[in-house]
Amino acid sequence: MAIRKKKKIFAERNLLIILIIIWMFLAFATKGTFSSFSNITNLLRQSAINGVVAIGMTFIIITGGIDLSVGSVVGLSGMIYAILTSSRGDFQLPSFVAIAVALAISAVIGLVNGIAVHDGKVPAFIATLGMMTLVRGLIMYLSSGRMVTGVPLGFREFAVDTFLGIPALVWTWLIIAIVTAFILKYTKFGRNLYAIGSNVEAARLSGINIRINMYGFYSLAALLSGIGGLMLATRMAAGVPTGGQGYELDAIASVVIGGASLNGGVGTILGTVLGALIIQTIRNGGNLLGVDPFIMQIIIGAIIILAVFFDQYIKTREKGKGIKKLFKREA
Amino acid sequence: MATNDLLKLEGICKTFPAVKALDNVSINIGPGEVRGLVGENGAGKSTLIKIITGAYTKDSGKMFFLGEEIKKNSPLVSKELGVFAVYQDVMVAPDLSVAENFFLGSQPSHAGIIKWGEMYKNANKFLENIGLEIDVKKSIKELSTAEREMIAIAKSLWYEPKLVIFDEPTAVLTRNETRILFNIIRNLKEKGIGIIYISHNLEEVFEICDTVTILKDGSLVGTYKTEELENVDKLIPLMVGREINEMYFRKGSEIGDEILRVEGLSGKKFDNISFNVRSGEIVGLFGLMGSGRTEIARTIFGVDKAESGKIFVKGKEIKITNPNTALSYGIGYLPEDRRKQGIFPQQDIDFNVNIINYDKAMNFGLINHKKAQKNTITFVNKLSIKIGSIFQLISELSGGNQQKVIIARWLSKNSDLLIFDEPTVGIDVGTKAEIYRLFNEILEEKKGIVLISSYLPEIMGLCDRIIVISNGKIAGEVKRKDFSEEYLLTLAMKYVIKNEKIKEAV
Repeated sequence: MAIRKKKKIFAERNLLIILIIIWMFLAFATKGTFSSFSNITNLLRQSAINGVVAIGMTFIIITGGIDLSVGSVVGLSGMIYAILTSSRGDFQLPSFVAIAVALAISAVIGLVNGIAVHDGKVPAFIATLGMMTLVRGLIMYLSSGRMVTGVPLGFREFAVDTFLGIPALVWTWLIIAIVTAFILKYTKFGRNLYAIGSNVEAARLSGINIRINMYGFYSLAALLSGIGGLMLATRMAAGVPTGGQGYELDAIASVVIGGASLNGGVGTILGTVLGALIIQTIRNGGNLLGVDPFIMQIIIGAIIILAVFFDQYIKTREKGKGIKKLFKREA
Repeated sequence: MATNDLLKLEGICKTFPAVKALDNVSINIGPGEVRGLVGENGAGKSTLIKIITGAYTKDSGKMFFLGEEIKKNSPLVSKELGVFAVYQDVMVAPDLSVAENFFLGSQPSHAGIIKWGEMYKNANKFLENIGLEIDVKKSIKELSTAEREMIAIAKSLWYEPKLVIFDEPTAVLTRNETRILFNIIRNLKEKGIGIIYISHNLEEVFEICDTVTILKDGSLVGTYKTEELENVDKLIPLMVGREINEMYFRKGSEIGDEILRVEGLSGKKFDNISFNVRSGEIVGLFGLMGSGRTEIARTIFGVDKAESGKIFVKGKEIKITNPNTALSYGIGYLPEDRRKQGIFPQQDIDFNVNIINYDKAMNFGLINHKKAQKNTITFVNKLSIKIGSIFQLISELSGGNQQKVIIARWLSKNSDLLIFDEPTVGIDVGTKAEIYRLFNEILEEKKGIVLISSYLPEIMGLCDRIIVISNGKIAGEVKRKDFSEEYLLTLAMKYVIKNEKIKEAV
């Protein structure tokens, strides 16, 4: 029996090629500034937080849902940490306790999302839209709308720490990516995700417990947003009330550019990682080239649409035809 | 003579990457002719239809309609010509009423305001004319599957077509509805409309078609008059390329201990159901559509909740609350609707086989994909599923091969009792015979089978006993020696209330 994996790496390979082309172009156009070690590590550092949040979003999008509350959870997690540890605050708890509390609360928010979507039959868009507003309100209430500073020194230093020359934040992202990719491929929990996202009825009739799994996916997504929130807090060295605002959009864009389908059942961690890198590369490169930030926003918006359009275009082609042929045909 | 043809195809070829889907196929269909189109899954029937309707473009060959060559076909062009295809899964707007669906895009209106009264009246008149009794004010989603199908068929007639293509139209229809459909077809025939009729149900093809075109592996085997062929037994070898002796093959199997016993099971659509299944036997659940047989299976499998009653597995009473518990007790269920309830369309064959079988390929709590893939390959070979690679998406396979993948999933699970719900709907004879042979293998492994089917030859040919369900109640248990179509149908009608009795009458 012939076993070929050609189709499976197709989407990611194209993304990788696109990323390399953009990198080469930018290295050339900026006369090497882009490709300097410091800029590349900076680029990776900038991508890390969105990268982690987008991995969580990948799980939800594969279920066929969407999670708009991730940005607010990012903000809440950082804020809780800051409030619990601030040297000017009432608690002054040790870092690890504060981290545990922040992540636990994040996961519970995800669980509530999961309950609303699975048991309450509220569409994911609406349930998480509500949660986004609710959690943001909670942040404002807890912080009275003010920045909370005075977080422990060790925590602040994490943002600038490096290991083997690579920022700790990037390591965090990388490790999370590897672990989640592993979960998706090598655990039943991961396989169930694709089953539920492809055909929930068939999944039910295959004996998969939809409820437990859905709770798991939403909790995990929120947990990863919580980690993203802590990463943001260490960079800001504070809890910021508006922290994480708009992050859900970057996360969704990364996942979609990464080849996931909003209809569910399709998506990979590697794709999402590359998607996050592409978005940040364009921001970073635009910056270096001195492109007007407003124009940048227009470009990024257009790229999201084009990426998905291109992806759909390839998919609707009859199978077995590569990109080359596609262009030949148009010519 | 040539100009008398409604549709004429000459030397049509179509190649997909790696597959020659159609090779030099020529047919002509006259007005008022009912042409059967038969062949195994993957023989090229759908491709041919799609070329006629313009959904695919042909690589070479000529197409004539009413003597005129159609050089550039497209769905729009064929619609203009008067060619309509009725598919199994028809696209209609489910939230709109029946009448609106007919008039979609051309609602009778005055100054932009829709004239509802006129719309309902016209739609009603039209349906009455073709012999359908459906409330035109109802929205499509309130209708049963069969009614929807009838609406889809009616909708294609609405446009006064010249050539109508039916693709497996009776798969979801009751016998009575099938009769209405056949009346409609005869009606169309009288009006000089050409018909192409695709079905795996060869008895039907003989009943309704004047001529039959047989395709095999993309080539034309030939076109025959149905009288020439005489009967199904002469048709099958032409289609399959070999003779199938004993379609419903049953090896004598040793009947052993009881695997499943159901006592007084009641649910929403059925009441007080009791029966048992022993190892080595096939027990049939027969009933009309909507009799509750699928619901009984779903309840045993834990998908639907039982209101009362007991379930015993190997003599021990068990509580089944969800499919997972049913699985753990060794009960498997192959659902009725393969597409909606069986396959994971975006995933590959390997995934589709292994999704319930990863437990067997675990190392330290992690999936060993190599082992899992070996399992897939074993079953792909065992069931001779025709695929390119196990990493092919299941949605790329033909219906019969998809069904085999689902069967592979459950065989691999090694359940003691397998419930097959309409396992061969939409599947060609060759594959059917293979699936029936598999049943014998399952029985040899001291397992039991429950077979749900509304196709009498199948259920009578394979079962040791048949439990007949009528309107949610057991109407009788029939032993193999007492099987007869009349008897089973009479029992199936036993508790059907008078009104419906007339509607469902054979």
